[in-house]
Amino acid sequence: MAQDIADKLSFEQIRLLQAERLQMTLNRAYLNMDFYRGRMDSLGMLPEDIGGMEDLAAFPFTTREDLRDHYPYGLFAVPLKSIVRLKITAPPLKENEKPIVVGFTRHDVKMWQDLMVRLYEQLGVTERDIVQVAFNYSLFPGAFTFNQAAEAIGATLAPSATNSAVMQLQVMRDFRSTILATTASFALHIIDTMRDLGADPGSLHLRLVLVGPDPLPEVTRSRLESAFGVPVFGLYGVSEMGEPGMAGECPAKEGLHLAQDQFLAEIVHPATGKPVPAGQEGELVVTTLTTEAYPLIRYRTGDITVLRESPCACGSTWSRIVPILRRTDNRLSVRGIEVYPEYVEHLLRSLDPMLHDFRLVVHTAWGVGEQLDLLVARTRGNDFPGSNKAQYLDLLRSHIRRRLGLGVRVLLTDPDRLPGEGLTYKTVFRNAETAQSSAAGSL
Amino acid sequence: MGFCVLRVKGVSAGYDSMQVLRRVSFHLEEGEIVALIGSNGAGKSTLLRTISGLHRATEGEILFSGAPIHGKSPEEIVGLGLVQVPEARQLFPNMTVLENLELGGYLRGRKYVAQALPGVLDRFPVLAERRRQRAGTLSGGEQQMLSIGRALMAGPRLLVLDEPSMGLAPLIIEEIYEIIANLYRSGTTILLVEQNAMGALAVAQRAYVLETGRIVLSGSAEELLEHDDVQRAYLGRDYQHKWEK
Repeated sequence: MAQDIADKLSFEQIRLLQAERLQMTLNRAYLNMDFYRGRMDSLGMLPEDIGGMEDLAAFPFTTREDLRDHYPYGLFAVPLKSIVRLKITAPPLKENEKPIVVGFTRHDVKMWQDLMVRLYEQLGVTERDIVQVAFNYSLFPGAFTFNQAAEAIGATLAPSATNSAVMQLQVMRDFRSTILATTASFALHIIDTMRDLGADPGSLHLRLVLVGPDPLPEVTRSRLESAFGVPVFGLYGVSEMGEPGMAGECPAKEGLHLAQDQFLAEIVHPATGKPVPAGQEGELVVTTLTTEAYPLIRYRTGDITVLRESPCACGSTWSRIVPILRRTDNRLSVRGIEVYPEYVEHLLRSLDPMLHDFRLVVHTAWGVGEQLDLLVARTRGNDFPGSNKAQYLDLLRSHIRRRLGLGVRVLLTDPDRLPGEGLTYKTVFRNAETAQSSAAGSL
Repeated sequence: MGFCVLRVKGVSAGYDSMQVLRRVSFHLEEGEIVALIGSNGAGKSTLLRTISGLHRATEGEILFSGAPIHGKSPEEIVGLGLVQVPEARQLFPNMTVLENLELGGYLRGRKYVAQALPGVLDRFPVLAERRRQRAGTLSGGEQQMLSIGRALMAGPRLLVLDEPSMGLAPLIIEEIYEIIANLYRSGTTILLVEQNAMGALAVAQRAYVLETGRIVLSGSAEELLEHDDVQRAYLGRDYQHKWEK
């Protein structure tokens, strides 16, 4: 059903729908949301000052900081009794910092599920398929939607979240799973496990692999495709919204089709905030069009991409974005877990006042962050918090693991032996083209 | 999605210094029945007056069958096939049922009237029965049927119904809505403007909610019937706080 809509709407009709829904969103934001009403009042602005999409650039951006600062209810457009689901989409990064908590009404829950159904259907998933969903549900708040949408289609589900790759492979074979939905990192780990076990990909019944929520680098795609022998597709969602189905690839693999009936996308220059010429890369800015509980107007996603409006080889006229090229901030992803170097710095300095400098070393395999090492250098050699060196390193390791939800290695080194920083703050990447199966664990 | 019969695009309007409509946008496709619901003072009447050419929009566009009609006279607009059934019927009470119907087709000429009349009388057997009776002697429900019948005589491409349930008894309202549903099933494109949200949402496919001159909600009738805001407005409940139980 959801796919019907996508097929039937022409470019003109999408624009009409977007224009009506944008006006509605602005009106509701003004009438129901403390945050947007306050902002519009302070600018002497009324929703009707935005006559259409061409005027939208006059509206100020919404940032990640806005979402934090107006915790808990400042960005809620409905009372709590209308909300059926709440998600912490970004935990606090510092002491006394506020998390980002997003609410969903019944309509919102259904809308996101419908979008995921649309992504499945776009890839030809039917009730005859068996979708095996392998995410760590506690680390990825949008994971449930993969299950719910698969159930809505009628596709049988082989539930498996944090089980080992060996067991994943066993159920995949025994229950003849046809679709695997997982993170790039876990998919790579499954491949390594297959190799270690000497398992033949031909013994599986997979038709395709769906990878998210992190962007799927081409090098990862080709590695996975050659190992599994089936096509691999990516999808996209704004991480602060807590849901993965905003855009997804079709079989043509010419970009991710955006759900334009539900979202309005703009591409702006990350520094100036001005629109970039069509077809050029810039930061994705998103306005929700039907979201009820937590509408966002011109949200700066921090994701750099390119918007393509030309018709796709699959026949759809819906605009596409290319897989996210990079972030505007320093956010990293290691085994699907978000890491901010600034946060790691904050943690280290609060544990050790004598910390001189540090580096995050991200070991990548096939373009995906697999393992995080911390190199720390101290000003004074032997005055360790926690009495000796071994206890000191153990303290750092356990504390940071607890805070990030990610196991790390911590190594002590001399300040002059720290590697030079790359483009990302205090971070260097080490490319090891083989995943470390021992470290990848089960995710 | 079919052909867009009516498209209202960012229309604002008001009286003197008072702005009533604020960038109202909505559309109707051929063969659709769409409800526009709103409470008293939401701006429904001003919106209808603006669409039918009785009132000027201060900004925005109104497209009928793809061509702009803002700036055209009410007669021209009716002539194009955008026909309204006004609130409170507005019949000629001292004229007969037949005369009232014939007046509906006035702009189309005698020949057209003669052709259209049997069809309308067929649809409303009560009116056929009382064709020689003065309109003022009809019951409220019969007057509403006459008002709809008169609009049908104009051969509408879009039939706009303004509060068809107003002032009628619940059983009669049901009957009128049945007539509206039948008109829709026979292919008439209908814009239903109503305060009676529950009634309108029961027959409409889609709906828009107008509140203090702004569209604040839209969606399928099914969705809106379930919507907390619609239920709140309909039940007269209000909330002050986001954390209210």
